[in-house]
Amino acid sequence: MTMKHAATKTTSAQGSAVAPAHTGKRLGTERVWLVLARRAYDEPLRQIGTVEADDSDLAGVYARSIYDEFAWIEMVVIPRDTLITVIEA
Amino acid sequence: MSEALFGLVARLADNKYVLGRRYAEWCSSAPTLEASVAAAAMAQDELGHARALYPLLRTLAPAAGVAVGPEIEPETRTQFMTLTALAEPFGGWPDFVAANLLIDSALTQIFVAAQSSSFEPLAGRSRKVLQEERAHVVFGAGWAKRLAGEGGAVKAATKGALRRMWDETLCWFGSAGLDAQSDPLANSGALDATPDELRARWLAAVGPTLEAAGLALPVRHDAKTGAWELTAALPWDRWDASAYRLPALAPVKEAAR
Repeated sequence: MTMKHAATKTTSAQGSAVAPAHTGKRLGTERVWLVLARRAYDEPLRQIGTVEADDSDLAGVYARSIYDEFAWIEMVVIPRDTLITVIEA
Repeated sequence: MSEALFGLVARLADNKYVLGRRYAEWCSSAPTLEASVAAAAMAQDELGHARALYPLLRTLAPAAGVAVGPEIEPETRTQFMTLTALAEPFGGWPDFVAANLLIDSALTQIFVAAQSSSFEPLAGRSRKVLQEERAHVVFGAGWAKRLAGEGGAVKAATKGALRRMWDETLCWFGSAGLDAQSDPLANSGALDATPDELRARWLAAVGPTLEAAGLALPVRHDAKTGAWELTAALPWDRWDASAYRLPALAPVKEAAR
């Protein structure tokens, strides 16, 4: 069996493997999700980063795989566009 | 039964191993950064599952009449029982998504059927594997819907990738028409289902995703029975039952001008 590594692939990190190359279009319209987590019960949830995903299930998968540096006891994702600004920065 | 069980564990381990390699090839080149990281995580999962299964071959080999030697050790193994669809690197992201949605979930169906296996080492590993596979299911379904939603060439490429893997994945569960007495794995309690039952479970698992994405494959939902049924015969005449793979079709020769 050939176990050749695909180092010769010409795909980029922005979807040229599937999107028409001449358009440079990025696939889909993704939503930004805030990722919040905590490591101990006496800690509050705090934002540890963001992910872009089409839906909450995929956002959860992405959050778990990207922010796996600690043994979190709780992690949640929330769509950034649902936040309501009270004091604007 | 020992020989059948050895074969089952060997093809599970080998396909997990190669699937992990294929996923890993995309861990820096998926369409989004998030998908790349998820691909790396899934690659780690698959390779870990293979690593947990290979030692079982050493246990099963004597009863199966297989020599305990380099050929059953993961580091020195060369005769892989792998699907033809995984023999070469994926040609594009639709191939990745198709393998994730179809092949990965087919392997998972075996672990579902082995949760109460009479071979306890496989039962124990199955429960752990299934915990980790939940994320793979979400990933495959999410990306299939997304690529199909793009329409045009992207949807066509996705459907093409799924169609190329469809027949082989279905045949991979094993010969058709075996009942619980004639199928050695079901008869011994190694699995709780015959190959036909495994196929039906798998169709019920992937059918709703395909339908929701509008990806027309030869499967339909029977509203009366609630079952998902194939609408095209499987190519059993080409199925290699000893290697558990469907040999690739010979390329069509260009017509003479």
